[in-house]
Amino acid sequence: MRTASKSLGAFLVLFFAGSVAFAQCEADKFTIKCMEKLATGYTFMKSYKIDGNGGSKPKVEYSYVFSKGTNYMVTLANKDPELKGMSLSLYDSSRRLVASNKVDNKYFSAIGYTCGATGIYYLTFTFDETQDYCAAAVLGFNSKK
Amino acid sequence: MKKTYLILLAAAVLAGSGTGCESNRIPDQQAFAAADTTTKPTTVKVSKEVLSDIIQSIPSPLEVSFLIKDMGVKYDKTSLNSLSNIANYNTNYRKALNLGIYSTDLGYANVYGQTQDALNYVGSVKEMADGLSIGQFFDFATIKRLASNSSNLDSLLLVTTTNFEKINVHLQEQDRANLSILILTGGWLEALHLTCEVVKDHPNEALRERIGDQKVILGRLLTLLKYYEADPSIRTLLADLTEMQKHYDKVQVTKEYKESTTKEVNGMLQVVDNSITKVTVTDEDLNNISASSASIRSKIIN
Repeated sequence: MRTASKSLGAFLVLFFAGSVAFAQCEADKFTIKCMEKLATGYTFMKSYKIDGNGGSKPKVEYSYVFSKGTNYMVTLANKDPELKGMSLSLYDSSRRLVASNKVDNKYFSAIGYTCGATGIYYLTFTFDETQDYCAAAVLGFNSKK
Repeated sequence: MKKTYLILLAAAVLAGSGTGCESNRIPDQQAFAAADTTTKPTTVKVSKEVLSDIIQSIPSPLEVSFLIKDMGVKYDKTSLNSLSNIANYNTNYRKALNLGIYSTDLGYANVYGQTQDALNYVGSVKEMADGLSIGQFFDFATIKRLASNSSNLDSLLLVTTTNFEKINVHLQEQDRANLSILILTGGWLEALHLTCEVVKDHPNEALRERIGDQKVILGRLLTLLKYYEADPSIRTLLADLTEMQKHYDKVQVTKEYKESTTKEVNGMLQVVDNSITKVTVTDEDLNNISASSASIRSKIIN
């Protein structure tokens, strides 16, 4: 009986630990939303998980080599349909800000970017005014002029 | 469409969760124990974050396939790696590089709507992946179904990129990240080869610049490969690519910075980078880069 209780206890601990870990950031479901936001003509290229670890990680950054003359689009999604507080800043290889999804306190869920110079670009995601530290982003491209 | 994505993502997630069991049943250490220098762990440890970030930053070879197709250039099967070469790939080093090469060829065939070729290349990718004991990360039934119709490209890419990310994580955990880098290098080299082949018959400034632009990516790949230069196979590849870099050193890139402009279009923010860059690739540079890529590729595929 005691062994059975211990086993049950261990199972519950593992079950709930697993549930908590799983509940932390299920970015995959937002990836679908991001893909749906890609404009016609854009091809999906990469998805990004934006996991702020419950607030302990204020910034999540990825890099990507963008090519001159190519149109890129980054779409974002989290729980909030208005994406409030979820910020994307795009920096070039010299760490110069070239684009941001925040304009006049409005957070756009899609940015189109026509690249002028091939190089490494940094997609920096920050949680500005939100307690929701889980989101996803998708990068698409369109080589047509 | 939404439903399709949901099903595909679920399939990809399930395929991934299933792999844990698979990999327990087929220990990678055993699979990699075959006589192959690439499988020997190197003493250099790369931070997983750094490695992952650089791997993630390498652009998809598919961009080039689209660029070529959008220019009106016809599909050219003869530029691709022959399926009959598969039997030659008997080391993990060659399997990994050719997995990258065949993946690029698969993407190219798919972009052009060449269904039968795409399906054939799915078979090659599967064989290479199985040979590296990472076949369990690919949901080949789904990939095959998606590759049979070029309108499924987004879904195909979602599944394959998700799988590739799982492979990267898995190989890093197994201290076999060198294989991830070889897969990437093979994919990149094939895209460069395709571009060089097209430029020979269709001289085009945009493609010429695209070839010159590969200077950035080559630099990143060399950074990654240098971590594994203790491995004799990688050392040879590194030496070849370093030779290629010497030709790239002559490619001049100038940039005049101008602030970008932003406007809202249909609820989306559109940003245009107004900076002007000029990539100068002389005929001699182009010929040297082309010859170098052909020579390295030939060593890998034959």
